This record gives sequence, C-alpha cells and structure tokens, in this order.
Amino acid sequence: MSQTVLICDDAIFMRTMVGDILTQAGFEIVGEAETGVQAVEKYKQLHPDLVTMDIVMPDMGGIDAVREICKLDPKARILMCSAMGQQALVVEAIQAGAKDFVVKPFQPSRVLEAVQRVLG
Amino acid sequence: MDNLQYAELFLTESRENVSAVNAALLELERDADGAGASAAVDTIFRAVHTIKGMGATMGYAIVAELAHELETVLDRIRRSDLAIDADIMDVLFHAADVLESAVEAAVAGRDGEVVAEELVAHLRMLGAPDAPTSGEWTAPSPSGGGTLVRIRLAPNTPLRGVRAFIIVQSLSNIGEVVGVEPPLEDLQADGFDDDFAIRLLTTSLVAEIERVVRNAGDVIEVQVGEDVFEDPAMRRTSQFIIPGAVVAPEPVAAVAPPERRSSGPVRMPTTGRSVRIDVRRLDALMNLIGELVIARGRLTQLAGELGDMSLEETVSQSSQLITELRNEITASRMVPVSQVFDRFPRVVRDAAKGVGKEVEFVVEGKDIELDRSMLDELGDSIVHLLRNAIDHGIEKPDARAAAGKPAKGRLVLSAARDRSAVVMKVTDDGRGIDRHRVLERAKHDGIVDANKTDLNEDELLRLLARPGFSTAERVTGLSGRGVGVDAVYTRVRALGGAMNIRSVPGQGTTMVIRLPLTLAIVRALLARVGDETYAIPLAHVNETIELSPDVLRTVKGREVLLARDEVLPLLRLRALVGLPEYTAANEIDLEHVVVIDLGDRRAGLVIDELTGQEEIVVKQYDAARGGLPFFAGATLLGDGTPSLIVDVSSLL
Repeated sequence: MSQTVLICDDAIFMRTMVGDILTQAGFEIVGEAETGVQAVEKYKQLHPDLVTMDIVMPDMGGIDAVREICKLDPKARILMCSAMGQQALVVEAIQAGAKDFVVKPFQPSRVLEAVQRVLG
Repeated sequence: MDNLQYAELFLTESRENVSAVNAALLELERDADGAGASAAVDTIFRAVHTIKGMGATMGYAIVAELAHELETVLDRIRRSDLAIDADIMDVLFHAADVLESAVEAAVAGRDGEVVAEELVAHLRMLGAPDAPTSGEWTAPSPSGGGTLVRIRLAPNTPLRGVRAFIIVQSLSNIGEVVGVEPPLEDLQADGFDDDFAIRLLTTSLVAEIERVVRNAGDVIEVQVGEDVFEDPAMRRTSQFIIPGAVVAPEPVAAVAPPERRSSGPVRMPTTGRSVRIDVRRLDALMNLIGELVIARGRLTQLAGELGDMSLEETVSQSSQLITELRNEITASRMVPVSQVFDRFPRVVRDAAKGVGKEVEFVVEGKDIELDRSMLDELGDSIVHLLRNAIDHGIEKPDARAAAGKPAKGRLVLSAARDRSAVVMKVTDDGRGIDRHRVLERAKHDGIVDANKTDLNEDELLRLLARPGFSTAERVTGLSGRGVGVDAVYTRVRALGGAMNIRSVPGQGTTMVIRLPLTLAIVRALLARVGDETYAIPLAHVNETIELSPDVLRTVKGREVLLARDEVLPLLRLRALVGLPEYTAANEIDLEHVVVIDLGDRRAGLVIDELTGQEEIVVKQYDAARGGLPFFAGATLLGDGTPSLIVDVSSLL
C-alpha cells in the first residue's frame, strides 16, 4: 500500500507541483489544506504518513500548524516547504517538530530525498 | 518519449556500457601508470558519455546528471589534471555502481528512487578545478568531553544554517551535545565555512553516529573521533571520502593513537543496549550503598551478639545481596580510560609543536576501566605528566641525533590492571631526570644534607613532589613552574593511590601511578593498637604473621623482619601514632605484623592485634594541619566507632 500524504499550501500551483512529484514517486495524496487550521483538521481526519507544510499560510501559519499537529501526534512526520530567506522560520518549524525542509523552487530529486529522510 | 520500446533499448545499451566501465576501471586499477591506463580512461569516458546522452533523451534526470558529473571528473583525469589514487578509484567504482542502479530504477519508472545527491556533489567537487580538498577541517574543536564529530556539508546546500541545526538536533537524539563550533547561533545564521564540529556525549557506536549525521541530509563528510594530525610531508594532494563509506582519516600521523577508531565502540566497549544516567545519580547510589554497607556491619554484629540462628541466617542472606548490589553499582560507575585518554593525542601534538620537538605518542590499554569520578579527577594530572615529559624529558631532534637516538621521541601512556588496582604509566625515552641538578637544587634550598652525594628514586620523587620545587631554568607555557609533580602527587594520594618514578639518565623516565579501582568502598583489615582500631586496605596487604622473636632481627641498629627468605623493614604503628610500647599481658600474647606491599616494595607494620576484616566506606576527611601524614581517610566501623584508614603508600 502506498504511503499517504497531506499537502498544505495556500497556492494551488505549489500544491499541484508537490502533488505531481509525490504521485509520480508512488505516494497517495489523501488530502490538501489551504490554511493552518485546515491542515490541523485534516490531519486529525486522515492521519497521513507524511505532511508537506508551507510556512506562510492564512488563518494560522505553518509553524503553528506544526505545533498543533505534533501536540496531537508527536510522531507526525512533517516536511516544511520554504522559500529562500526563511532560515529563521525553518529553524522555528524544526524546533516545533517538523522533521526536514525543502526550498522552493522545488527540484523533484531534492523533494524526494527529503521525503525519504522524513519517512526513514 | 516514455515509450517502452525505447526504454528497453536504453536499458540494454546502458547495461553494456556500465559493464564496459567496470572492466576498464579494473584495468585502470591494476595498472594506473601503465601504457593501458589512458586507453582505459578513454573507454570509461566514452561509455559514460553515451549513457549521459541516452539518459537525457529519455528524460532520466538523475542518470543524466550523474553521468555528466562523472564525465567531468574523467575529463580531468584524461587531461592529467587529477591524479589517480586509491581514493579516486573507490569513488569511480562507487559511481559506476550508483549509475547502474540509477539506470535500472529509471527504466522501472522509479527515477527518483536512487539518491545520488551526495555522490553528484562529490563528483562535482572533484570535477571542479582547484576544488577545495576535503580532509581539511576548519572549525576549531569544541572544548569539553565527549566524542568529537566533524561534519562537512555539500556545496550548494540550501539553507545551510537550518541543515546544520537539524544535524545538531538529530545528534541530540542519541546523546547530549555539549559543544558546538562555531556556536549554534552562528551556525544557524550560516556563520560557518563548510564544516562545523560537535562534542557529543553518547554511548552510540561510531557507525551509528555517522549514520545519524548522514541521514540528516546534505552531508558529504563525517569524522567521528579525535583529529589525527598529518605529517605535512606525507599529506596527499587530494584526499576525499566516498559518500556512504565508513569515514576515517588516514592515520598518516606524527602523533597518532595506535588503534584507529574508524568503527566500534565510542565510549563503552561492551555497549549493547544502554541508557544514559546522570553521574550525580550514580554518586547518590554509591553514597546510599555506602550507608547500607555500614548499616549491614552493625546489623551483622548485633545479630551475632543475639545468637539467634534464623536471624543470623537472614542477615547473612541480605548481606550477600548487599554485596552483589554494591558490585553492580560499582561496575556501573566504571568507564574505559579512553574517555579521558582520547583527548591526549591533541594535547601532546600541540605541546610538542610548541617547543619544537617531535614526538610519537602511543596509548596502550585504552579499554581498561576505572571509576568515573576517579578518571575525571585524574585527567589533568596525566596532562601534567605528559607535558613534563615533552618539556623536560624528550630532547630536541638535533640533541637526540647527537645522542644517537631517533629524532622523534617516543612517549607512551599506558593503563593496565594489577589485581584490584589500575596502574598508569607515562614513559618517555628522553634524557632522564638530572639527579645531580635536583640534588644541587635541594641542597641550595637546604632541604637535604649538604654532604649527600646521591639520590635514590624515592628521594627523587619526594623532592620533585615538594610544592614549588623546580629545576627548570625557565618557565615555559608547559611546565617549569614547579606545579607539575607535586600537584600530581597530591592528587594521586588524595585518590588513595601511589606514585613512583623510574629514571635512567640518557634513557628516559617513567612515572607510575597506581590507583584503586574505586574510591568509595574497600575491603580492609582492622588492626587494633592500644584502644584504637585502624583500617588497612586489603589491596595492599600481603600477609600477616605473628611477631615472634625468631622473625625479628636487628640490622645496622634497625629492626627488620625476616619473612620467608626476605628481609623487610619494620614499622611500628604504636610508634607512628605516638603510643607507648607494647607490653604483653602474658608470654603467648604476641604482637602481629601486617606485611604491606605496594607493587615491588614491602614492609612489615607491627600492630597489637588483628580484629577482623570489613568492607569500609572511605570518607575523605580534612586532616588537621601538622597532623600525621599517613592516613588516607576515615571510616565508620560496623559497631559505629570511627576509624582512620592507613595510607600504605605513605609508609613505604
């Protein structure tokens, strides 16, 4: 059975792109979220194997969402999606419980490497 | 493009090309400088180039990228820009393997499955002219104990600071990170070149530490363990590490430990499954068990007085359990001396460099175990001895050559078990201690008789161990301030150990430290003198005999003991503690002699009577100034009376 993913990003373009990369690598996208609040709700519902999380989202940002999700499930495996220049925010996300990060623009190989690390 | 027919063709051809690469690599390895070498490189280059073109056409990104970087490296080799050595060969073989699996995975539709990022970065580094050679660590080694872990990130690592942070964090999952260089705040903010260093307290194996670091991502090189210093003359022009391989610097070292620690245990040699325990908790346990041992003594005594069989049986059973408990706790406090010894190669190297001497440093018996708190206490003392040996013992290369010795001095630090003691030795092959100068200096200071012409080794040690005594003409950064030997001597004595010196002019000096395995609890013989009971640690007791007239002799006006065929000096404890001479109540009531020994030295200690054997808990005490110098501590006996513990080493 393929592993399940919840993609959290407020941009449809990024969700589609991440989704394509992961689908091609054999993952099953079980849900998408546009806001931090949605991300937490969907996590409760779906219990995915992996969450990709944008840092900047409306209605609760990605870092707070990481915190909330890790409160629900300390073993949650969350991969942060960051833009260049968000160094400090990524560190904060890692401290909040995220396992790894990728930097936009996404290179498929980098994304998959990071996913392997998070799931490994 | 994803056409199955093409994919099939690509697979077949690529396989052929990969096997051509492998065959040519083997040939190259056999004969790197021979006539066939350049033809082999050409063959590999062509095959890789073909794979690259096909892979790119098929849209197999990883295959194309890997082949491209490999091609660049091969091109440099072809232009004699990069010399082939064993390490390069390893990288090339590894690259061929990865390329093959990338090809298979791509055709199977799992292009992303082969992770070649590290290898690609590595090849890129090799392919770039004047690529920075790895193997040069720039981050300073963080101070503090623990295992040194050096980490280099791949060039072009995105958000390097965050990556470094993740690595530090994942290491803190398997141990305690006690130091980071550059400091974590700088690291997070990208304030480092391409490598950084961590001190980690952990029970994990080297391989495990490496795995954790590599799994944190973007790492191209890891070194676990202390730095090994290279002889610049032997340093190779390019040195690098194959991603994924076990990493250890080559031991081309002027100052290298004899065993490489490329794998195997870092801290506890017998670590199977382990948990980390705060050392304070162990100390607390040790104190509790100490109290328990005292209570047991009382209990045993009381039960004996009551004469109740079943009570005595129960007491003896619990007594056995307490002994086992004590043994377990003692064992849990034991750590291999390597925990402290591992930082010495660096110390020696720096010290030797500072005074322009060449030193080969050898460590023996790293696995010997010693009580944790004792080992911590001892570290500085051994550094003192090592520095003394380098500063005063080992000569400069020209002086050594003139004396017919190899230019490089030899310094050996060894640890070994001897019964219930651990013996540590610092041996150098230097000039030896100049007894004449020590004697002159001692006369000058009025410490010894002006007519004295020679010093034996005990006298030598006693002089050197005097606070502030130094014969050094100048004070260097290393030693000469006269705080070397006396500080060590005091520390060793405080730990219940003993020290001696062997020094042969022109041949070198050996400092020997003898320590009990553990500080806290020892078995002791209880000796009564008058109304007082003294404890003599059993580790130093050889035998006990009755002091009958036929074993007593007088030689040159001094009492000696004839024990078997040996003549031993005789000491009377009564005289030592200032009691009047023994008067026997009747003729059968003879005094007793305890033969005490310390390695190769022995003496007889006369006491009134032996009253028993007991496990005693050593309590350090602050002896009154001007008090008798031959007690090592105090203890409470089973019946609750206090007793002083005889310091055997001070008597001999």
